[in-house]
Amino acid sequence: MELTRSLRLTLLGLILPVGLVLLWQVAATHNWINTLFYPAPSDIADRTWQQLVDGKLIMHCQVTFKRLMIGFLVGAVPGIALGLAAGIIPIIRQLLYPLATALYVVPRIALLPLVLVAMSVGDPARIFMVAFSVFFIVFFSALSAAEQVDRTHIDTARAFGANHDRVVRSVLLPGSAPAIFSGLRVAMGVALIIIVSTEFLASNNGLGAYVWRSYQIFDFPSMYTGIVAVTIFGVLINWALLAVEWTVIPWRR
Amino acid sequence: MTTLATRPSILPPVQPLAHANAVEVSGLSIRYPGRGGVLALEGLDLEVEAGSFHAILGPSGCGKSTLLKMLAGLVNSTGGTWSIIDGSRPAYVPQGNSCFPWLTVEQNVAYGLAVLRAPRSQQKTVARALLASLGLADFARRYPHQLSEGMRQRVAIGRAFAVDAPVLLMDEPLSALDFQTKVHVQGELLQLWAEKRSTVLYVTHDIDEALALADRISVFSRRPGHVIETVEVPFQRPRSYRDLRNQPDYPAAFRRLFELIEETK
Repeated sequence: MELTRSLRLTLLGLILPVGLVLLWQVAATHNWINTLFYPAPSDIADRTWQQLVDGKLIMHCQVTFKRLMIGFLVGAVPGIALGLAAGIIPIIRQLLYPLATALYVVPRIALLPLVLVAMSVGDPARIFMVAFSVFFIVFFSALSAAEQVDRTHIDTARAFGANHDRVVRSVLLPGSAPAIFSGLRVAMGVALIIIVSTEFLASNNGLGAYVWRSYQIFDFPSMYTGIVAVTIFGVLINWALLAVEWTVIPWRR
Repeated sequence: MTTLATRPSILPPVQPLAHANAVEVSGLSIRYPGRGGVLALEGLDLEVEAGSFHAILGPSGCGKSTLLKMLAGLVNSTGGTWSIIDGSRPAYVPQGNSCFPWLTVEQNVAYGLAVLRAPRSQQKTVARALLASLGLADFARRYPHQLSEGMRQRVAIGRAFAVDAPVLLMDEPLSALDFQTKVHVQGELLQLWAEKRSTVLYVTHDIDEALALADRISVFSRRPGHVIETVEVPFQRPRSYRDLRNQPDYPAAFRRLFELIEETK
């Protein structure tokens, strides 16, 4: 009963996307749309399969994955650490908050030229772009997570004799974890956008470069292949993050 | 101290000097910090006899919670003196949902012992025994969000009893519960109190709850709060909420407390 219900809901959710793809297919085969720019989904599937088989797509995925993960870790780890520190220790908050707020509002991709000048074109620059974007999102989510830990829990710990150190370890850290993970997932979404747009402009490999180059040589089926690949890539990474979250925060189901 | 009893035959023996006090508060005042800080308590005198169940009854916002927070070491007093028996740290059940969501039920109950660095085995034994008394033995490994509100409050009560403190401070621990659950947990609470022979200082705004649970009831004034009157509850133990209204002195006791609270307005 429960299963059939969830199955029905899933099917319900599939109606629109499947319908749209079918409509696209019909429109393309009847030449209602320009198939040069909007090739039929079946052609895109063919191209995707080709590129998968000859390993090209996988190579680009690997390159992007590596940049994304290194950048994410380089940004997220200090982001969590400094964000928590600022949320717990008022002096650190005063020290970091004004600068962080100012830098946070700069659209990250606008810094790309500056980063390329400073670091020249190469993986360090691309990774820096990701890390920089991730850092601020994670920093602010960790900061507000620590500040918004339920006062009752802090008071309870103190009433039972917990010193500052134990309050931090037994209440502030676990109490912040759920909000930090929400921040990490948002940051991962932004990181994906940043790495793909950076690869558009400053790379000759990776999924972003693949999409951009296909566009420039009018190889539209390949361009769509790249877009589909980036999408699947994003979904898989989000699932992986959720899996990590479930293991690290078991009390949240 | 006055007594609520109208029939001398069931008057409890009052021997003011025969027992030690577990909590003594004298001339206490608390003003919250900041400009124009609220004066929560002023000129508060309170004596809580060791081993007794002492209720504090009063309108909301009268500073009842502030008193408990001060005794729990969370708020500083701005005047007066206070002491707790043997200089011990009281156990505390705060108002609202205070279970740590990231700890299992058993770890929640053992939290105070963990802070005291009790051996793991002792933490486990104590927590298991308390959970059994509270009817939660099968839920030891669950997380609070998997429990009902009533179960969570029992966990918070268990956590307070686990540290074996001479004094337990309870701030409306059952006020969010539905009637049936509340009466049930009251029974369990009284049983644990009778077993542990600890002193309970219990804040409530519910006259019937105070009458069902307490040996003595101190009625608080409006802010700035102080004790208007402390009355002795003449009902014998073991009591239960169900039999409360059958007590011959119940109507008089209820009316007296009702009038005292009315006077605070």
